[in-house]
Amino acid sequence: MTNATALFPFRRRGALRITFYGAWIPILFFLFVPAVITFVLSFTDIRRTPRLPWAWVGFDNYTDFFNAGRLTSSLTVIQNTLVYAGLTVLVGCGLSLGIALLLNKPLKGRTFGRAVVFMPTILGVTVIGLIWSIIFSVYGPIQGLLGWFGTRSNFFGDPKIAFYLVIFVVIWGSLGTTTIIFLAGLQAIPAELYEVAAIDGASPRQAFRHITWPLLAPTFTTNLLLSVIGGLQGYSMIYVLMGTGRPYTETLGMAVFSAGFGSGTTTQGFAAAVAMIQFVLVGVIAMVVLSVLRRREVKL
Amino acid sequence: MSVAQRAMGTIRRRTRVTQVGSYVLLVLLILSFVLPLFYLVNTSLKSFQEYSINPNGLVQDPQWANFPAAWEKGKFGTYFLNTLLYTFAGAGGVTLLSMLIGFPLGRGYISRPRIWYGVLASFLFLPSAIVAQYQLLIAMGLYNTRIGYIVILAIGVGIGPLLVAGFSQSVPREIDEAAAMDGASYGRYLWTFALPLMKPALATVFLLSAVAIWNDIILGTILFADPGLWPVATGLNAFKGVNTTDWPLLAAATIIVAIPLIALYVFVQRYLVNAVVGAIKG
Repeated sequence: MTNATALFPFRRRGALRITFYGAWIPILFFLFVPAVITFVLSFTDIRRTPRLPWAWVGFDNYTDFFNAGRLTSSLTVIQNTLVYAGLTVLVGCGLSLGIALLLNKPLKGRTFGRAVVFMPTILGVTVIGLIWSIIFSVYGPIQGLLGWFGTRSNFFGDPKIAFYLVIFVVIWGSLGTTTIIFLAGLQAIPAELYEVAAIDGASPRQAFRHITWPLLAPTFTTNLLLSVIGGLQGYSMIYVLMGTGRPYTETLGMAVFSAGFGSGTTTQGFAAAVAMIQFVLVGVIAMVVLSVLRRREVKL
Repeated sequence: MSVAQRAMGTIRRRTRVTQVGSYVLLVLLILSFVLPLFYLVNTSLKSFQEYSINPNGLVQDPQWANFPAAWEKGKFGTYFLNTLLYTFAGAGGVTLLSMLIGFPLGRGYISRPRIWYGVLASFLFLPSAIVAQYQLLIAMGLYNTRIGYIVILAIGVGIGPLLVAGFSQSVPREIDEAAAMDGASYGRYLWTFALPLMKPALATVFLLSAVAIWNDIILGTILFADPGLWPVATGLNAFKGVNTTDWPLLAAATIIVAIPLIALYVFVQRYLVNAVVGAIKG
């Protein structure tokens, strides 16, 4: 450690200390302190309205989350979170790997394809949400399509399918990032490996199994881990498409927002408790996923 | 025909079949991303009457007036000015903090770098702090102010410092030594030498955070009570809440918000894609 800092060629360290530690101060104050405050608030009944008196309530917010009256909806929220993360990760990463393999081929128009797939990342959740709200509107083109089969749907208004439609839109909007990362991983694989394999008579399938798959493992780890964390935390699209207070599309992240800023009667103390439950869930799952992926990388 | 030639023929035929298949898939892929946008444009040009009669057909009588109408009704002028301010100030703050933290870290000027890298990586796992940030801003009197929102945006550095740290290793060390020899202080060196040399990385950090801030909906919704201070995404979402049935007007408003992003994207597409890849790898 000391020899690393010994390299510092300037005469005084004052400016270094001021700029480096100075830059940490706002981050500490507005990011780390709120993370700790969230934990503290989860033991209070603080409300959204400013300057109302509040009190310590011990573990009440946590027991409320798991108490009999609320248990069904709480379990639904946790289940939704897992379904949301699971589907966005599996379908999202699977599809984007396929798209990356396609766009990695020497096809005309693949640059345009790449640009188009990445575009939703720029448009953002509000614009994407509105585009799909219009397409899945009661008179929209999908309704027209269903009409040919003599059926119809309420889409986002139908509790049975709304959540899956939201997940579909989320995947549509996030394919770009995962695809681009896979594409970068693919392009880092030396072309000679494939030439050698072809000379040795390997089929494309064998080349994929023995070259692409193992060499893509680090990219896979990155993509999967980011998708898992994003899937367990993300909720802005749910908010844009469904608004607050829809139990059937609520995930933990969305529940924090709904409880803290929705029109219901829950306190922000309760919202903070949900945020802590989510924090533990994300930490545990991310650690498990990371260790599994690392072990897999070593094996390949 | 020799065996080898026949084998080559089979391979070529097989390649051609897979190639046709690949092009079919590519066209389907492009359509699945372009058609939704096309439908949005098509809807935005219809009058309410035309949409009621024929919601899904090609537009017959394009209503360009939908755009100024949506602009007026949604007060998008105000929201755009707000968002421009928030984006430049917020992304500027992110870039500055990323530089001040990431540069000396990447250069090995800070002792115990592993701890600091660990702290930076922990950003990914922090609990959702929206409630605490809201209460903190209220306690400081910064709730419902531009400055409060900008501060919360600016400290969301994410992977910015890691990106800067990675890039700083490609700047030659001799420059530091030469600057020090000439009697420049660290502060002066940072401003006059490091800043221009770090431009590519800083531009990447700025661009990535600008896109994120431009599209922010959650913080804009919870940190403001006064609609006059809203960013454009919050404004658009509220516009949707009020005009739920007027789909052509809503489509026009969506396009108004999307056009600057698409225009920017056309210019920086290649650059931005590389930025994302660099950001993830770094």
